[in-house]
Amino acid sequence: MRRLGPGMKKSKTGHSPEKAAATGALFKVGDQVRVRDMPYMFYTRSQMYTRGVAGTIAALTYKDLIPEEEAFNFDGRIEQYYIVRFRQKDLWPGYPFDNDTLQTECPHRWLEPAKN
Amino acid sequence: MPSKDLREQLDLIRSIQPAIHVPQNWNYENPGPMYKAYMHPPHDVGGQFDVPVYYEEKEEEDWELNTYVTCEVLGWRGAWTAEERRRRADNDLGYTLYLGMPYYARWIWAAAKMLVDKKHISLAELQEKIAEVRSRYEKK
Amino acid sequence: MSHTHSHGKPGADTHHKAAPMVEEITDYEVLEIAVRELAIEHGLFTAEDHRRFTEWAESIGPAAGSRLVAKAWTDPAFKARALKDGVKACKEIGVDWAEPTGVGTPSDYMEFHVLEDTPTLHHVIVCTLCSCYPRPLLGMSPEWYRTTNYRRRLVRWPRQVLAEFGLILPPEVEVRVEDSNQKCRFMVLPVRPKGTENWTEEQLEAIVTRDCMIGVALPKPGRTADVHPIQKARRPVESSHQEAK
Repeated sequence: MRRLGPGMKKSKTGHSPEKAAATGALFKVGDQVRVRDMPYMFYTRSQMYTRGVAGTIAALTYKDLIPEEEAFNFDGRIEQYYIVRFRQKDLWPGYPFDNDTLQTECPHRWLEPAKN
Repeated sequence: MPSKDLREQLDLIRSIQPAIHVPQNWNYENPGPMYKAYMHPPHDVGGQFDVPVYYEEKEEEDWELNTYVTCEVLGWRGAWTAEERRRRADNDLGYTLYLGMPYYARWIWAAAKMLVDKKHISLAELQEKIAEVRSRYEKK
Repeated sequence: MSHTHSHGKPGADTHHKAAPMVEEITDYEVLEIAVRELAIEHGLFTAEDHRRFTEWAESIGPAAGSRLVAKAWTDPAFKARALKDGVKACKEIGVDWAEPTGVGTPSDYMEFHVLEDTPTLHHVIVCTLCSCYPRPLLGMSPEWYRTTNYRRRLVRWPRQVLAEFGLILPPEVEVRVEDSNQKCRFMVLPVRPKGTENWTEEQLEAIVTRDCMIGVALPKPGRTADVHPIQKARRPVESSHQEAK
C-alpha cells in the first residue's frame, strides 16, 4: 500500500490498466525472476551486482513511483515493488557458503520471469 | 604572482582529481565496458573491493543535526523529495565529492544546489549570504 | 562522553538564540547557516518547522527498538503482530511512523518490516546505495553504517565483516543480508539468548543493543553496550539522542 509522504505529489498517471498490461501481470511470492540488464544512466536504485541474476520473489511490498522518475520529480509510473531473494552463490563468483542468501527490493520494471 | 596559499590550493585541487585519466578518443577500442563504467551511478558500491577497517562511532556535530533537519523539512514542505536528495547528494555530485566530502557536507551541498537549480535562490544570492555569514564570525 | 557547552545557533529567525562564536567556524557550518536562513527567508519552511522536526530528531533512539524486541520475546501474540505489520506493532510500543509530519518523514517512509532470526537464519542489514535506516525505531544510524566501506563489503563478504564485529556463525546457519535499497525499512529480531529465562522485559531490553537490531551482534546476558572507537565532535549536539545506547 502506498502512503502519500511529504513532498510527494499524487500521480496523475497512476497504475492504469494499460500500464498494467504493459508491465505484465504482477509476480507472486515464490515466482522465479531475473533482474533485467537494462540501460542505465544518471540514476537507478537497481544494483549492478544483481543484474542478470535469478532469484525468488519473497514478498510484495507496495506500489509506488519508480526511482528513476521520482528522483527527478517526474509525476509518472507507479509500479509494484518486490523483495527478491538471491542465493549468494549466484551473486558472487566463488562464494563459499551454500546456505547464505541476500534480499533486496526491486520495482517491477527491473524484473522478468526466469526460465529455470 | 599567486600567493603561496593560492599555489598550495591549486596543488590540492589537482591532487584530488582522479589518478587514472583514460581519455577516450576515436578509434574507440572495446568501448562497451568503459561506457558502462562511466554511466555507473557512484552510489552503487555493493560488491566493490575494500579493506577491513575499524568501524567507528561519531559524535554528531550541531551543524550536522541542523543539516539533517533542514533537508528533511525541505522535503516536508515540498521543495524536494528524499529521492531527489539521494540522487543529488549521492550521484550528481560526482565521485570526487562523493568519496571525499563528509557525509552531511554532501547533504547540505545538495540542498544548496537544489535551491539554485529550482530558482528558489540565485547563485549570486547564495554567495553573498555565505560571505555575510562568514563576516559575522570574523568580527572580534 | 564529553558535553561541550552548546553555544546556541547563530542567525536570526531560528529556534536557537544567537550567541557569539568563540572558536573558528568551519565552511560546512557557514554553508548550513546560509542555506537554512535563505530557505526561511524565501518561505520554503519556517523556523517553527525546523524546531519541531529537530525536537522529533532529538527524541528518537534505539531504546524503542529494544522495547519492541523484549516485548516480542515475552509476548508471542505481539511477536506475530509485529511480523505481520511492523508499523502497526510499533504504535503499541509508542512509536508512530507517521510522526512528526503526520505522513511519515521524507526519508524513512512507513514501510517497516521486522526480520525474524531463527537458530538457522541470521539477518544483517545494510543499505548499499546510501544509508537507509529505520530512524523512528532505532534513531540515527551509526557512522560506520554510512561508510562506503561497510556498504561495499557487507553484501559480498558478510561473514568476514561480521567476524570483524566479533560475530562468527557456523556455515550451516543461513546468513541473509537485507539490502534496504528502496522504501522498506528493516530491523532484526534476534533469537532470545539462553540464560534469560524468567527475565523481565526491562532486563531483556538492557541486552538488546542497536548493533543486535542491525544484525552485527548477538544479544547475550551481560552484554549491555556496543563498543566502538568514537570520534568526538568539535561542537556536538547537546541532546538525549547522543546518549541513547
